[in-house]
Amino acid sequence: MSYNGGPMTEAMYYVLLALMRPNHGYQLMQLITEVSNGRLKMGPGTLYGVLSRMQKDDLIVLSKDDGRRKTYEITSEGERALRIEYERLKSLIIDSALLEEGEKHD
Amino acid sequence: MTKIVRKLRPTDFWRIGEHESWFSDMSAKGLHLHKMGLHFAHFKIGDPKRMEYRIEVTKKKGMPYEQSEMYEEIGWDYVTSYQFFHVFSSPEENHAPELHTDPMEQSYTLDQLKERLILNFTGTLIGFLLIIGMLLAIWFLDGTPVLRLVEGHAIQLTILSLIILYNVFYSTRAMISIQALRRNLQEGKAIDHHAPWEKSLHKNTAFSIVFIAIALVSAILPFVQLFKHETFTLPENDSNLPIVRLADIEQNSLLVRDEYYIDEIDWANRYTTNWSVFAPVQYKYDESGMIENRKWLDESGTYSPSVSAEVYHLRFKVLAEPLIDDLIKWYSYGDEMEPFVEKQHPDFDQLIIHEDAEMKQLFASKEKVVMYVRYNGYAEMDVLIRNAAQKVNLLEGE
Repeated sequence: MSYNGGPMTEAMYYVLLALMRPNHGYQLMQLITEVSNGRLKMGPGTLYGVLSRMQKDDLIVLSKDDGRRKTYEITSEGERALRIEYERLKSLIIDSALLEEGEKHD
Repeated sequence: MTKIVRKLRPTDFWRIGEHESWFSDMSAKGLHLHKMGLHFAHFKIGDPKRMEYRIEVTKKKGMPYEQSEMYEEIGWDYVTSYQFFHVFSSPEENHAPELHTDPMEQSYTLDQLKERLILNFTGTLIGFLLIIGMLLAIWFLDGTPVLRLVEGHAIQLTILSLIILYNVFYSTRAMISIQALRRNLQEGKAIDHHAPWEKSLHKNTAFSIVFIAIALVSAILPFVQLFKHETFTLPENDSNLPIVRLADIEQNSLLVRDEYYIDEIDWANRYTTNWSVFAPVQYKYDESGMIENRKWLDESGTYSPSVSAEVYHLRFKVLAEPLIDDLIKWYSYGDEMEPFVEKQHPDFDQLIIHEDAEMKQLFASKEKVVMYVRYNGYAEMDVLIRNAAQKVNLLEGE
């Protein structure tokens, strides 16, 4: 299924985020755990699926392939998608202010 | 040398969770998955160990090196692959991280498989429809289905169509199941890696046995028929053959054979034996003769009478009457001037005759024996009937 600009899966979002710096598979997994403060431990199956799909959708590219390790980096299109998603998530947070107010009332 | 044990896979190939669970349970018994065939899994005998198994589905047949390396780095060892499925294992105590942490993302790994299964289903369905069309034509185009049944040539194709029908059913289930699994994953329901597989086992075993039996029968039948199908030159005198002989009809010592040899068989004076499930004894034969000093009445040449016939010893008596109906249909052209007449005769259960100048046809049955005789010559129909009665008794008494 190719990316159509709609809401991303969490996995997609974090992989794009992590690829703001070029990186390869195994390191990405650790980086994602780091970036998410240990909240998200991404399995290699999920990671590999996201990588190959986003590569097909031109959101990321292979920047280096020395046969053993493949290094990926985000494309400008990928970065745009990431920023759009970031804005969407921000609106989600702003809209959720209602919940904070609710908590105050309690 | 490590010993290998083969086991019938307990469940359908698309039930990923049940397979993972089965491999785990086998490892706990000391049987470690080694290779996967179409129907059998091969296990290596070793020490019992609690292992976790995961099956990964890929878009293409092979597993990309990068992917399997990523799996191995976090503790999942590659075991084996079959088609688009790849098996990894890890000792339970290591608590290796899950391969898939996002069911939605995992559902995308099934996209290609889904497409392929839809294609497979479509292909199987088209194949089935073609074979059904062909079968309908074979059985019903001439309007003589009982004759086709008794001859038995279409039986194998019919069984084959049953096997293809099963394949249609199987590929429908595969297609629907993978779509359901995809939907479940998209709804966030992860695969149950310890799904119970035992209940599928009995169903699958029973199905396999039935399937193998049907396939075996359909494979053997044509060989039996081929073995029993033989053509011989008709012996000059052999009253043991349950067939009406030209000499008995003509009663003329000057009758000689009108021969037509190809490959050492006189095809104008031959008999062919055959076998089928519904008519284990079958004869077809032709006999042709000449009487030198006699001419056809229309002066068209030397008098040359001939007789052709078919004899069927049926498995079930109930087939006799419909077979006669079909034989009449098969051997009439619809433009006969003379009618087919049913006669009562003490030696037959059913007797139908048709006379058109020197061409005489006889359709008769007694118990499980059905006989068709076509005679071309000047002998009387009564002579033909008398001879047929004698031969029917010969076979029926067997």
